[in-house]
Order: sequence, then C-alpha cells, then structure tokens
Amino acid sequence: MTSRKDITVALAGNPNSGKSSLFNALTGSHQKVGNFSGVTIEKYEGYADYNGYRIRFVDLPGTYSLTAYSPEELVTRQYLAQDTPDMVINVVEGPNLERNLLLTTQLMEMEVDLLVALNMYDEVEEQGIDIQVKQLQTLLGCHIVPTSATKKTGIDALLDHVVRVYEGDIEIRKNKLSFRNEIEEAVEAIAAELAGEPELKTYSSRWLAIKLLENDREVYSLVNRFPVWVKIELMLQEAIRITEKMYDADPEILITEDRQAFIRGAMEECVRQPDVKRVSLTDRIDSIVLNRVLGLPIFFFVVWLIFHMTFTLGTPLMDALDGFFSWFAAAVEPLLPNDIVRSIVVDGIIAGVGGVLIFLPNIILLFLGLSFLEASGYMARAAFVVDKVMHRFGLHGKSFIPMITGFGCSIPAIMATRTLKSPSDRLATILIIPFMSCGAKLPVYVLLAGAFFAPAVAANVMFGIYMLGVVLGLLTALLLKSTMLNRESEPFVMELPPYRWPSLSSVFLQARTKAWMYLKKAGTVILAAVMIIWVVSNYPRNPELEASLDREVARIGQQVTDPAEQAAAIHAAENRIAAAQLEYSIAGRMGKFIEPVIEPIGFDWRIGVALVTGLAAKEVVVSTMGTIYSLGEVDEESVELKSILKRDPSFDRATALSLMVFVLLYIPCVAAIGVMRKELGRWKPVVFYSVYAVTVAWIASFITWNAARVMM
Amino acid sequence: MLLSELNVGDKAEITAVRARNSVRRRMLDMGLVAGTRFKVLRVAPLGDPVEIFFKGMYLSLRKSEAAEIEVEKVGHVGDGAPLGRQEKRRRRFGGAG
Repeated sequence: MTSRKDITVALAGNPNSGKSSLFNALTGSHQKVGNFSGVTIEKYEGYADYNGYRIRFVDLPGTYSLTAYSPEELVTRQYLAQDTPDMVINVVEGPNLERNLLLTTQLMEMEVDLLVALNMYDEVEEQGIDIQVKQLQTLLGCHIVPTSATKKTGIDALLDHVVRVYEGDIEIRKNKLSFRNEIEEAVEAIAAELAGEPELKTYSSRWLAIKLLENDREVYSLVNRFPVWVKIELMLQEAIRITEKMYDADPEILITEDRQAFIRGAMEECVRQPDVKRVSLTDRIDSIVLNRVLGLPIFFFVVWLIFHMTFTLGTPLMDALDGFFSWFAAAVEPLLPNDIVRSIVVDGIIAGVGGVLIFLPNIILLFLGLSFLEASGYMARAAFVVDKVMHRFGLHGKSFIPMITGFGCSIPAIMATRTLKSPSDRLATILIIPFMSCGAKLPVYVLLAGAFFAPAVAANVMFGIYMLGVVLGLLTALLLKSTMLNRESEPFVMELPPYRWPSLSSVFLQARTKAWMYLKKAGTVILAAVMIIWVVSNYPRNPELEASLDREVARIGQQVTDPAEQAAAIHAAENRIAAAQLEYSIAGRMGKFIEPVIEPIGFDWRIGVALVTGLAAKEVVVSTMGTIYSLGEVDEESVELKSILKRDPSFDRATALSLMVFVLLYIPCVAAIGVMRKELGRWKPVVFYSVYAVTVAWIASFITWNAARVMM
Repeated sequence: MLLSELNVGDKAEITAVRARNSVRRRMLDMGLVAGTRFKVLRVAPLGDPVEIFFKGMYLSLRKSEAAEIEVEKVGHVGDGAPLGRQEKRRRRFGGAG
C-alpha cells in the first residue's frame, strides 16, 4: 500500500499441482499464515522483492473448479471478486495439463488478469511431452511461464512476467471461451441485463451470467435482490427449456461439457503425448498399497506408526515439559513471600501455562506425520481403504485418522478434522472424537481397575471401556447423521493424487502452523479455564484449617522423635488438611451440590469433586481423589489411594466400573473444549455436545452401576 | 449400462451423469462428463469404493455414486483401445496381474 510498486498476486490451482511448493519457492521465508475471514481455511501470504517491486503473494486453497461446491472454492471466488488482486497466477500441473485446464477456463471466465505457471516442467520434459507454449498462450489468452518448484527453475522468469504484465510491457489479447449457440445466446443476453446494475460492477457480468446458468446458489442469492432479476429469471427458464428440448440436458451440464470440449481442442492443438506407454510409479505403489489382501494391513500399519510416533515419542517430551514446569514452579516458589500470590503464580499461572504447553509435542509430532501422509498422497488412499466401514456410520473415510488419533489426545485429533471438506462430516467427527478414550483417562482406569480387579481381569475391563467408547462414538455419529446433520455429506468423488516425495520444508511449515494456531487461539481459552478451575478448587480458604494444621505440626514435632516418621506424619496431616480445605472450597460445595444427581450412579460428593476438577485435565481426577479420600483417614501407614479406595465401604466394584464409564464419556478437559470451540467457530454445537456427553455418561453409568450391583 | 456394473479392467465412455446436486457438481468438476473415457482400476479391499483412471487422474468414487453414471463399455485392457498412456497391464482384484 505504501508505494505504487506493490503488486498483489493470488496463486490459484488444483490440489497437488505443486502450488504450495511454488509459493514457497517464490516467497522463501517471507511468509505468514492466517485464516480467510469466517472460515477455518488457512491463508498463506508472503512476498518477494524483485527489481524494486514488492510482489505480495496470496496462496489460495487448492481447488479443481470455481463452483460453489466447497468452502475452498467459495473462498477463492470471494477473494478474486472482492479483494481484486492485481493478477492471478494459475499454477497448472504440466504432466497432467488437460484436467488442470478446467480451473483455467473458469479463471478466464472471471476475466481476471491471468498468468499461467506451467509447473513441473522438468517432468514434462522428462516424460517427453511436447507442449506448444506459444499456441497455448494464444488459445488461453494469457502468458505461460514454464516452472519447476522442486528444481527451482523458472522462478525469476515468473517474477519477471508478473512485473512486465503489471506494467503493461507485454500484452496478450484475452481470449473468450465460447459455448454452444443456445448457451452463448443466453449468456450474452443475461450478461447484458446484469451489466446495467452498478452494484454488481466488481463482478464480470459474463461470469455472473454463466454462474446463473450453472444454477450457482451463491450467485443466485447475490443477484436475486435486484429488480432486474424478474427478467433474468424468465430468461433462465427459457434457456433451460431450450436445452432440455434440444439436448435432454440442463445448461449446467452443457456448460461443463463445452469447457471440456474447449480443453480437448486445446490439447489436440498444442500437446503431443509420447507413444511410449509406461507403468507409472503411482501404479506400481498402488498395486501393493491398495491391494485387496495387503491394503488393510498396510493401512493399519501406517496408522499404528503415526500413533506411535505421536505418543511414544511425544510422551517423554510431554513428561520432560511437565518436569520442567514442576522444577520451574519449585524454583519460583521460595521467591514469592505472600501465600496468595505464590499460590496464584505457582499453582495457577505456571500450572495453567504448563497444562497448555505440554500438548505441544503431541501436536507437532502428529502434524508432522499427517502432513507427510497428506503431501505424499497416502492420506486419500487411507480414506479409500477404510471408507466402506466409516460410511456405514454416516462418516467419511477421511474421518478415520482423526478418530484414531483421539485415542492419544482429543486436541490434535480435533484439529486434524480439517481434512474433511463437508461441514456436517467435520462436525460429526469432531463430536465423536472425545468418545475415543484419550491417554489422560488411562491413569483413572489403571487406578480403578487395578484396585478392584485381578490383573488379568483388569486388562479386559480396560479393553471393554475402550470398546464402549468406540461403539457409543459410532452410534452417536449414526444418530447425528440420521437426524440433525441429515444434510448432504461430502461425496467420495475424490482424487487419489500421484505419489510424491513431500518437500520437508512444507511439512514442517504445516506442523509449525498448527502448533502456533493451538498456542494462539486455544491457549487463551484453555488458560482462562484452567485458572477458573484452580480458583474453584482453592477458594474460599478456611483459615481455621490452616491454624489447625499449624497446631498439628507442632504436636507431631513434640510427640514424634524419629525424623522419617515425623516427616511422614506431617505429610499425612497436610493431606488431611488439604482434603478438608478442598471440601470447604467451591469445588467441594459443588460436589456436595451435585451429589443427589450422581447418587443414582453410585457416586458420593467426593467423586463429584473429582469430576469437577477433572475438567481441567483427566489425570486430575486421580490426584483429586488422592487428596479427598485421605479425608478422615486415621491409618497413617497406608496412604496409597488404591488401598484407601479398597477399604472405603462406599466404594466397590460397581462404583469403580460406573466411574470408569463416566470418566470415559463425560465432558473432556477444558483444553479439548477450547479447541472444539475454536475449530467449530461457535459455541452452540459445543454446548450441545457437552449436554449430550453428560447425559450419555449418566445413562451409561446408571446402567453399569445397577447391572454390576446385581451381578457382582 | 452403469459405471457400477463394470468390472475391474473394463474401459468405458461416459454417456450421461444422472447424479443430482453437489454430487453431480463434484463429478462435473472432476471431469466426469459425457465423452470422458476411463478405465476401472480396482476395488477397495473392503469392496467399496472403486478407483478409475482417466486423463492422468486417479479418481475414487463409491459404488452408490458410480451407479449414477451411465457408461458404454468400449473394451477391456489389452484389446488395444486407445485410452490414456499409463496403462499396459491388466489388473485383477489381487493386483498381481
């Protein structure tokens, strides 16, 4: 904006056309990531300085077409029509020119200033494909620059063309794709009507006319508020009547056919394919990877690998971060004189920030893996392999990987649903992910199953819990898809892109982007929520309890002489006071308040407190129970929670089972809720989910508790 | 006949797309229009979806979606019908062929 030498260029192209690699090659490290307004589609921006010009690039999402089919296409259209970049570079995949040109023809229709980057030109030459660039330029009415993003060739030539086209140094006559007569007449007549409407000036009236004939709902709602609509509607009806009569097809199909015919003509005129037939690498890999026998085992192996990479590698890092924050808290503690300030800083802020940050290793590792799968071409194949099962539950094949990731942690899993294009598929997948029992719930099961069942049975109980989550999750998906989300889900008409070795820089960029997004947006929500839970479980303070702790410590100091015994006794006393304080706090009162509601599922107020604090993170259920069950413990020898629970008359196998089921199903941690809200963009489905989850949890626990009491 | 009625290895040409709404839009955008010639490459390990190949594109679609595309069989791989440039061998379910 500062000088006349700023040029804004949008990059448009098919998915897998090497558009993002070209963007990286053009902009180097001058990049930033944002979102297109109102949608969770990432917007990459960057710039290159060339000959005194600052050329700003916007990487539009990869699309095959410019209809109103997907959010990506709408975003692209909206950007081109409303942000009016100075130029659009259409990145086309050289070796597969024909199918890439469909987007090109639609960009021509939008009458934008177009420049075509004939990408992967190295492969074109390698395969011996002969492309008459000059001739193609005339046909498409725009300049064409051969490039190779991977070999970094043609980059300067492209920048040079951008500047020269911008300055008008080189010109080319724009070409117009003509449709068959019946369509062409309708297009021209409707465009003439629209041209008179000043409010539609930013759009090409010919493009609007074409879109109306294509039955495009977005353009329809754009145009139908103008008085001229009355006339246009009649013209549209007439056009449909004519084409139905002549071709037994509506204009939408005929327009696409004509575009394809134009492309076929251009291909015949400008492109010679070599006669050599060869089996491509993709064919060879797929004959193994998508093999009827090997396909499923390979798929499960890949999923297993990703899962292990994320969690086996991530957990030590997570523990290390956790250790760091404990160390940091311990180091800071003595520096703060005031009790309240210390508690806020140490237990509130440091613990809160730590609680947000410890998920980072998992998120980064998972997205390294997923970006690799996506960029290499396997992701679409994974969906292909598993779609039949997922479809049975109303889901898409692509839902599977996020779902499985949910077993590790819901947060990266929810973020991974971005690969799903249809909003209803995405919503359904996000809402069932928490039913996949995450890693943080495991300590709860280990504690309870370990305390109340023999080791061999305990493993079965835990397996049963996991399976219950899967079954209820899938049933939830089925329920959602057959009721509330009974809209069209994404068709499975999907490209299985050719295998490619992904560029590591873009894989890392993806992972970095995801990590940053998590920190920036979710971090604030999560941090606030963790702080609230901290306040709730620490306040109000009961000064009497603190005084009684001092008295107790003094008493122990007098009565017990052995230092080890003394320390143990003091520790036990502290635990009892902490428990009493927790009972006194808001969380304790909430536990008591909800007791009547959770009594029918076998819980007393103490479990209620653990469930409330468990909202911060599921591991907290165990630590809270550790604190609260030491209340009234007289036997100071055995403070291990397992034995305390076993001795507690109100806690039996039925309670343990019921609690496991409840923890499995009720609201996940606030971090997951925060990410859910962020990814869905509104609170309504999150609130719905929370109510639903608690209800399901309650019913399932009610059944479990009563059935267990009868049977055991 | 319908695309869903073809066998692995069949080559066919699309005669009409009968799908509606967004499925049809998607098909048209991916190049599934009357006149497109393709080859049926394989069926997923669980029996659905199927994969076809045309114009350098590997495309998957569910059988239910394939049932909305009318086609005319033009041959079987190996009979020399001019189609694409990357197929040579006949692939059967096992993919070993």
